[in-house]
This record gives sequence, C-alpha cells and structure tokens, in this order.
Amino acid sequence: MNEKVKTVLYPVVFALGFIALWELAVRLFELPVYLLPAPSAIVGVIDGTLGGHMMVTLTEALVGFVLANILGFATAVIFVHSKPIEKGAFPLAIALKTTPLVALAPLLVVWMGTGYTSKVVASMLICFFPILVNSVKGLKAIEHEAWELFSTYKGTRWEIFWKLRLPTSLPYVLSALKISSSLAIVGAIVGEFVGANKGLGYVVLVSSYHMDTPNMFSAIIASAVCGLLLFWTISMIEKKVIFWQRVDEV
Amino acid sequence: MGTPLRIVEERASGGTGIRPEAGRELAVSLRNCSLAFGDVQVLNNVSLDVYKNEFLSILGPSGCGKSTLLRLMLDLLKPLPGGEIVYADKEPSIGMVFQKPVLMPWLTALQNIVLPLTLGAKKKLGKKEAREKGEEALKLVGLQDFRNHFPHQLSGGMQQRIAIARALAAEPTVLLMDEPFGALDEFTRERLNFELLRLWESPDNSLSSVVMVTHSIQESVIMSDRVIMMSPRPAAVDEVLEVPLPRPREVGMEELPAFHQTVKALRKRVKDQ
Repeated sequence: MNEKVKTVLYPVVFALGFIALWELAVRLFELPVYLLPAPSAIVGVIDGTLGGHMMVTLTEALVGFVLANILGFATAVIFVHSKPIEKGAFPLAIALKTTPLVALAPLLVVWMGTGYTSKVVASMLICFFPILVNSVKGLKAIEHEAWELFSTYKGTRWEIFWKLRLPTSLPYVLSALKISSSLAIVGAIVGEFVGANKGLGYVVLVSSYHMDTPNMFSAIIASAVCGLLLFWTISMIEKKVIFWQRVDEV
Repeated sequence: MGTPLRIVEERASGGTGIRPEAGRELAVSLRNCSLAFGDVQVLNNVSLDVYKNEFLSILGPSGCGKSTLLRLMLDLLKPLPGGEIVYADKEPSIGMVFQKPVLMPWLTALQNIVLPLTLGAKKKLGKKEAREKGEEALKLVGLQDFRNHFPHQLSGGMQQRIAIARALAAEPTVLLMDEPFGALDEFTRERLNFELLRLWESPDNSLSSVVMVTHSIQESVIMSDRVIMMSPRPAAVDEVLEVPLPRPREVGMEELPAFHQTVKALRKRVKDQ
C-alpha cells in the first residue's frame, strides 16, 4: 500500500470506528436523544436546508478570511517599511487582538445589522492578527547575507521587496493562513449567535432553544466540515507554493 | 604589535594615488581603515593593497574582523573618517562569495546565477543575454546538468559552486570570498580549492584579483600569492607573507619544503599573537 492511500485510509477507518462506537454506546445504554443522539439520528435530520445554512456560514467566513488577509498583509508591508507606523500602530493591533470577539460581536450587529456584513467583519477581526504578526515576521526574516547580496548588485528597494522579502515571507504567511482558516469559521458563527436568521450559528442557537439536539449536532458537524475544507485547501496550496520547504504533516 | 606593512611605510613618506609598485599594478587599496561597532573597535588602522592578477588570503582568528574588511571593500560598510578604499578602476566590478551559499530556495540553479544580472535600476543586460551569461557561468563550475535543480536538491558543495558561478556570471575583476569553503567537508573543500584556482588562472574570464578570507593556514598557503595575517581584535595587519610556491599550483605541492616553511612561519606568528 503506498503512503498516499495510507494517509487517506487510516483517518477514514478511525472515523468510521469512532462513529460505530458512538452508535453502539447510544443504543447499548439507551441514552436520551436530547443528551446524545446516535449518529443515525443525526443523519436522519439532515436535509437540504443544512446545506444552505452551511453555504451561508462558509461564504461569510471565506469573505472575511480573504479580506482580512489582504488587509493584514498590506498592513504588514507598511509596518516593515516604516518604523514609526509600526511602533505606533502595533499596540493598537494587539489591543484589538486581546479584546474578545464575543464581546465585540453585539456591537457589530448594532452597527451593521443582522445581515452578512456583521459576520464578515467578525470573521475579519479574528483573522487579522495572525496574518499581520506572521507577515511582519516573515518579511523581516531575510538573511543578512541575502540583503548584502542584493545591495552589492545595486538591487532597488522594490527588487529587494519583490524578489527577496516577499518569497521569504511565504512560509510565514501560509502558516498564518492555516491558523486563521479555522478561526474564520469561529468569527462567522459568533456573529450569527448574536443576530442572524440563517447560517450554522443560527441553527445551533435555535435548536438549543428547542432542545433539538440532533439538529444541533448536524450544524456543529457541518461547521467542523467547513473548517476542515478551508484548512485542507490552504494546506494543499502551501505544499505547492513553498515546495522548497518540508511542509509539516497535518 | 607586528611589523608594519612596507607599503604603508612608503606611503607615509609621501606616496599617494594608485600606481604600480615593483612591476605590479594595484587593484584595490585600503588606507588607514578603522571601524567600530558601538564601543567595540573592530578594525584598527588597517592598510593593505590588493594587486591585479593576485590571489590574496586574509588569515586571522575567528571574529577578528576579517569579514568586516570584505564588507568595507564591498561598500556595505564605511570606514571611520580618515580611512578610505580606493579602486584602481573607476567602476570596478566586484563579486562576492559568502561562507553560506545564500541561494534563493525558490529559484533554480540557473535562476539564482542570473539573479544579480537582473538587479539594479539601470538594467545592464537583456533577459536572453543574462541567461546566456548564466549558462556560461554554470558551465565554468561544471554544473550545467543541474541548471533546473533547486538548491534543496543539491549538495552543500554544489550549492557553493552555484554561489561561485553567480559571482562569476557578473564578470567581476575582483572576487571577494568570505571563508567560501569553511562549511564544507575536507574532500569537497580541497577539490573546490583547486577548481577555484583553475578558474582564476583561466583566460576565459575577466577575473583578475581574488581576496579570500580564511582561518585555515594550509588553505591560505596553497592558494595564495600573499597571505595577510591579521591580529586579534581590534584587527590590524600583523604581517604580510609571500608564498614562494610556483604557479600553477598543483595537488601535491603540500609536500614541498616551501609549503611547510610558510605554514610553519604562519603558525609561529599565530602562537606569538
């Protein structure tokens, strides 16, 4: 069996085993459905509407993720080229980071309503910090000798950025993307908790009011799937882009 | 501390400007260069000359400021007031090889070599021309079959040869090397030493002077015409030694009495420091 098959097969076997154990435990101990529904009961409540809610959350998270990363990277570029701006604005960025998103979310809904915008912004807030910190670090991570090489051959500031800083920063940028890919979903769901009429966070909240645990589980699992999809996509991109580095096994 | 360099003495008696001395033409001249990083004095009034068609080694204990000397010559650092670096040519072409290969891991061997040719506000070369020069340099170090390999696919010795090819592609007249083979194993190191000498002797390239920083006494003797011995920090020129070995240097010259005597003289110098 080759390695590729193994990396897919083993997790699948483990997941199936776990689900089987779960099903067996629920049936054996006759657990009430509002506490822990059996996997079969969860599958039973899944219908087309879940897919719709999933798309809503995924869209919010993805838009927030992309915008935050563009903005965060651009900010990092400015920081790296201007010490005063970096010194002045970094504490603000840290303050933003240390403010719990859960505390900010109601404010976002007051400002932007219960539509997409508040969730996208919530997602952006949570994704912004990892990319900012990692990009600043990555853009500064150039070898001193590499800088000397560029200087010796009269490389311009632009060339040093484009041909040296940017490629050097890529491993850092991609590891930030990996971190924030799962955080983006958190941001969207927190936003939905506070005020929404669609999305996975909304489904979780409403099912909790109705003690509808199977539906709650279906939404929780769907949100996990969203996170995984994003994470795997980024990991695949990472392997392609920074081919020169041994990418850590996921 | 040591005997002052004889050229310095002569200059003190009124000599200025670059001019041939004893039939040899100057390529670079460092005059009274001092340098300090904060409170730490690194260079103390260093004066030395590099001649055309000369292989010069700078020898000294680690951390004595040998690399700093090269950085002065590259204009990456400026000497304290009173010191100056003068090149004989108006627009000297200088190449640099670091201790580490300093290759861009995202570029192929050929792209790495071409990189310096494409830098700078005024483009010196077209894309095609740069590529051709790169291919030529790759051939010089014998790695033409690896042009599309990435650095992580090459051994340490090959990476350093790519770094040398990159320096040669820009057709320097002066090549500065900072312990270029220091990180390599003994076998690779010896092979590359002679490979470098062949390149330098060959009329196919513009290379005229080589300045190599090293902390290996044997390496400095087998390679160089002259060895500059530095004193510990703050570094000053301690002694200049001519190596009485014939050119071209061959493998096996390490057995000659002249080799042993020079090594011995340098060793003694180190002990006395």
